[in-house]
Amino acid sequence: MKKRMVSYINFTALTIILSSTVFLFFLVRDNKSMQILIGVLLSVLYATWGIIHHAMAGDLHPKVVVEYLLVGAIAVTLIVTVVWM
Amino acid sequence: MHRFLRHFFFPHPSNNHRAKALHPDTLLVYILLLALFNFGFRYLHHQYPSILGYATDIRLSELLNLTNKKRAALGLSELRLNEKLSLAASKKAQDMFSHNYWSHTSPEGKTPWGFVTSSGYHYTIAGENLAKNFSDSSGVVEAWMTSQTHKDNIIKPGYRDIGFAIVNGILNGEETTLVVQMFGASDKEEVIAQKPVPLFSGVSTEALGDQIPLISLGVPSQEVSKNFITSLTSVIQKPIINIPTMTRDIVFIFLGLLIGILIIDGFIVSKRKIIRVAGHNLAHIMFFFALSIALMLVKRGVLL
Repeated sequence: MKKRMVSYINFTALTIILSSTVFLFFLVRDNKSMQILIGVLLSVLYATWGIIHHAMAGDLHPKVVVEYLLVGAIAVTLIVTVVWM
Repeated sequence: MHRFLRHFFFPHPSNNHRAKALHPDTLLVYILLLALFNFGFRYLHHQYPSILGYATDIRLSELLNLTNKKRAALGLSELRLNEKLSLAASKKAQDMFSHNYWSHTSPEGKTPWGFVTSSGYHYTIAGENLAKNFSDSSGVVEAWMTSQTHKDNIIKPGYRDIGFAIVNGILNGEETTLVVQMFGASDKEEVIAQKPVPLFSGVSTEALGDQIPLISLGVPSQEVSKNFITSLTSVIQKPIINIPTMTRDIVFIFLGLLIGILIIDGFIVSKRKIIRVAGHNLAHIMFFFALSIALMLVKRGVLL
């Protein structure tokens, strides 16, 4: 029960992180450099969230850390690709 | 083939119950491929701009008509195309490319009004709208109309004259199509252009499909070529492959595939109650979904 509660809290936090960074992204829609900066922030926050989430769940493994970092790196690469197209 | 697809897209003992498409080494390959795609596109665009480039069709005549239509809809008088204001707009565009800035005021402190007066237009009121990297004329005017400050210029009742410059060049290292729109009203009788008038000598618009005659006002042509300026009354480019469209298609197909694979992988693992060491699929889906929304907000055209 406690584990499920922690999971709910974590996913609520993730929803807040994602929606606020997307909103920030919208606010700086006329500034390419800021968009990339916010994209990097989004990725860093996501990787951090993933690591904390798995640490709290007790299943943190180096492979999981690498996965979150790579997912974040894919996001940064995609943002750079689209913003500088 | 069947085995490969199962191995790549579905969790199975052969891939340690995680679709190979989601393994860290495959994720790394995606990053390298995307980086290669980025550099490859830039290189090919540089080498073959007529094949891989930015589709653009912005014409002075359309900008003028659309601007006047917006005014007419509000019962305002039509603006007359003014040679001197077009010259001021051209000078401003040239100055932006020469000094590499994107601003109403130059790094040396030159204001739009300086360009207006140095072009011989004696204004009582004047205004300037700027836009860059839009693909067509209606996109420029519609974007101006959705921005209050730009809209205020377009629908200001006091303006009588208007001038434009549409210029392609390199700004901050990036291929840029600039649109400069100058407004004014004068207490003197101003010269009204009967047709859209290119204002620099030696710049032919014929290659771009514009049949408007050239009139030289004596600005040295080398200033034009030095700054990669290719046209002043229109910028029309029709590459075989349009970079923004192609890039967006590839990025959104890739994101769609990733989200799809994550959904299938998560569904199968949850149904079979498989315990494995991996990231949270739901979190990845949420993340990529948020990223898709953010990327949809990216637009090439910018106003100032």
